Amino acid sequence: MLKGKLKLDVTNLDNFEYDMSKCIKCKGCTWVDHIYMPGMTFSTRCPSATRYLFDSYGAYGKMRIGTAMLEGRMDYSDELLKILYACTLCGACDVGCKRNLDLEIELTLEALRIKAVKDGKGPMPQHKKLAQNIAEKHNRFGSPHANRNNWLPKDVKPAEKADVLYFVGCSAAYTSPEIAQATAKILKASGTPFMLMPDEWCCGNILYSVGMFDEAQALAKRNVEEVRKTGAKTLLLSCAEGYRMWKVDYPKLLDIATDDLGFKVVHLVEFVDELIKKKALKLKKKVDLKLTYHDSCSLSRLSEPWTPWEGERGEWGMVSPRLERRRGENGVYQTPRDILQAIPGVELVEMIRMKENAFCCGAGRGTKEAFPDFASWAAKERLEEVKAIRAKAIVSTCPWCKENFTQVLSKEGENVKVLDISEIILAAI
Amino acid sequence: MAISKEAYQALEAIVGKEYISSDPVICEGYRSGPGGYECGLGYERVMTKIPGCVIMPRTTAEVQKIVKACNRYKVPYVPYSTGWYGPRSHCHVDDELLVDLKRMDDFEIDEKHLYATVQSGVIYSQLQEEAMKRGCYIIVGGGGSQCSAIANMLGDGWSPLSYRIGLPHRRILGTELVLPDGELVKMGSLATGEDDFWGEGPGPDLRGLLRGFTGLRGCLGIVTKMAIKLLPFQPERLVPTGISPHTTLELPVKRVKWINFTMPSKDSMKKAMFEMAKAEIGGGATKVPIFWRAIAKANCKEEFWDIWSQENEESIASFHLLRVLLIAFTSEEQMDYEEKILNEIITELGGEARRTRPSDESWFKNADSAGMWLMCGSYVSVDYVIETLEHSIPHGENYAELKKKFTPPLMPDYGDPGWFQSFELGHQGYSEFLVYWDPDVDTDGVDFFYLETSKENIRKRFYTSLLGPHQPLYLTGPAYGPNYHTWLLKVKDEFDPYFLCHPPVPLAHDAFVEKAEWMRPMKDWESPEIKHSS
Repeated sequence: MLKGKLKLDVTNLDNFEYDMSKCIKCKGCTWVDHIYMPGMTFSTRCPSATRYLFDSYGAYGKMRIGTAMLEGRMDYSDELLKILYACTLCGACDVGCKRNLDLEIELTLEALRIKAVKDGKGPMPQHKKLAQNIAEKHNRFGSPHANRNNWLPKDVKPAEKADVLYFVGCSAAYTSPEIAQATAKILKASGTPFMLMPDEWCCGNILYSVGMFDEAQALAKRNVEEVRKTGAKTLLLSCAEGYRMWKVDYPKLLDIATDDLGFKVVHLVEFVDELIKKKALKLKKKVDLKLTYHDSCSLSRLSEPWTPWEGERGEWGMVSPRLERRRGENGVYQTPRDILQAIPGVELVEMIRMKENAFCCGAGRGTKEAFPDFASWAAKERLEEVKAIRAKAIVSTCPWCKENFTQVLSKEGENVKVLDISEIILAAI
Repeated sequence: MAISKEAYQALEAIVGKEYISSDPVICEGYRSGPGGYECGLGYERVMTKIPGCVIMPRTTAEVQKIVKACNRYKVPYVPYSTGWYGPRSHCHVDDELLVDLKRMDDFEIDEKHLYATVQSGVIYSQLQEEAMKRGCYIIVGGGGSQCSAIANMLGDGWSPLSYRIGLPHRRILGTELVLPDGELVKMGSLATGEDDFWGEGPGPDLRGLLRGFTGLRGCLGIVTKMAIKLLPFQPERLVPTGISPHTTLELPVKRVKWINFTMPSKDSMKKAMFEMAKAEIGGGATKVPIFWRAIAKANCKEEFWDIWSQENEESIASFHLLRVLLIAFTSEEQMDYEEKILNEIITELGGEARRTRPSDESWFKNADSAGMWLMCGSYVSVDYVIETLEHSIPHGENYAELKKKFTPPLMPDYGDPGWFQSFELGHQGYSEFLVYWDPDVDTDGVDFFYLETSKENIRKRFYTSLLGPHQPLYLTGPAYGPNYHTWLLKVKDEFDPYFLCHPPVPLAHDAFVEKAEWMRPMKDWESPEIKHSS
């Protein structure tokens, strides 16, 4: 719909016809913001366009392909599915576009995947296996559901009832237990009682990311209801992907505002920041490490809260009522940096591409499962930056990033540590 | 749509199968419109096609082989660097090969002699930062930070920072050009050696042939390498700050400063530009289109219209904003001196300084860039002229008057006469007339206005930059020649006998008028049948 009634509803690609048709090929989505452009190296921020080069892999190509799909001029093919799914949905293109044009690129990319699934062509076969795991075992790995709480250290006992509910997520529960353990110990050290969900299931991040809207919506309904039943006031996450899912995509799936969830969604770094400010947590122990911070996409540029919007587009493309656009400006950028800088002995050095210009690690949104080589390539590209600034460690706020970096480094034999921020915080208290 | 199997195989052998594709979904990504510069208008709808095949060479030798293969198999082709220039840089005929040059990103810098050698995939933003790291700067042309430096230097290459510099031809040094038949031409000092430090070479200066006044949009071959002059800058860094979308360069105010002045009249603005030039002060002096101020103030499209809707003919006619850039190239004392002189000039002319932010969002790194599309989702500059200041002001005023007949569909600008500024310290005057429209209504009126400006130039004896590649060559050629068109076509025939390099440019707008039914009533000039257009 170029004019007339409109809703920010990703289940109908028509809602994004205007956005797709107004791309001007400035390629601000691919290049680092011109103000921060570092020069000839590390100058792009879109993994997909940088790796695959053809314009079709950049947002500008995808907008044109999306228009062709909407107009019925484009048949599904392996190449088309690769273009739709060999993309980290990392939001770099969205913030780049909203520097000048305010087009809804990220939502359009999500809507394209949802359409592919509706048309019976998506997601990729590897995603279907994950979906089956989630349906049957409530985790994406297909591990026994009974093992979900095996990460719990013996010296930490969650409360039966507490204001804070720690949603662990599949990664920290099964493959990166050190993150869940560090998080639990930080909470204990700060004297914060916390509970777990009585029966925690996968958040469904992968399902939503690959376009399986109905399945993701069912999980959103179930999980939000379960949290509401506990009476928790704060839902705490140590996984950036999960954080975005709960804070942004659940409200989107349920057609409510983030504020209407009934509880506050916070990432560990936001929680720790508050604890430090309230002097409930002190970072006193020295951690001698020259490290760099990797902005996980879902904590940074993708994390602004969701508000449903419905209205009309009229003359000159104006919308009414006024739309508060999510441009990534209010993502969580500075808080983790403040925490790291508050740790004695830590030397924080910034990578060349940082904050809204950060280059995605390549793991999220179904990329690593369907295109592992691409995910590894993206991580390598990012790790080149770590080497360029001679950092000894890279710290992130998401188990997906940690796992992908770690796997690449183990193959490459590089001497760089990969740490989750929870581990550094724990080491400092 | 696709090229022949034999041609494809020959091309694939040159670059390898990873860098060539005729897959429809890959080709669709190279569609021109409907968004972008001049997009969504008749020209884009009638004249552009998706490519039959896309190829991405890495080296000049590969480009030569590709072009030779195209000549062998009679495959039309178009060079493509970033695609931001809208429909005129995209495929125009069926089964065309698009030569995407983004892999050609070699970059070298000679700090001693102050020039950078770039390939076609290097963008201005990269080049500017590398220059600034070394205490230099370049002019980021109006195309913006993300356009190819080579493509923009061939076509435009100016901005308000051209105040001291003017047209880019003198900043184009040694250049490599693959002719439409695949032969390699080396220009400037490259003609006699491997050093590309100088623009002129033995014999005629071929830059004129390559660039003309505002470029030939790739119809005379593919430039694969160019040495670009770097200009010495002041020593302090401009500091990036903010989170997108509110990113900006903080200026070291003792070295770089923008000052906005309200002036009593257009004439006083022109006089200020002349007086600044006589005193040899300033790094930029430009009359700002008023709607740019509204863009800068607005937080979104809707807010722009809130602000802009409060204007009217009277408010626009009585508001004259002169934006001056001071750069203390040599010392902080230079800033003190120039500011003092500037203030004396402005005071004498009745102007008044306004509060100006000590930052730069646009000119150093961005040029006009993508913000131009915020208001309506569409934009094109219907003409840009580099002549004299005396010429540039009435040029804009005439266009503003003419525009009223075509508003709507053009955006109401209440008679704003566009943008003019001083180049080469007052020796040149620049005029550019930018128009915007709602692309989702009937836009035929914009097509009419575009062509009508050309006729207006001829009627009123204004010079124009937009000859062959942008307006009907058989309309403009006789008027500005009288044999401009015949010579241009002879040159084209000589270098490209099969008319394979970006057909039907330079006759593309002629072909558009022939093909678009709604344009035909406007055709009141003679022309032969246009070939090479389907």
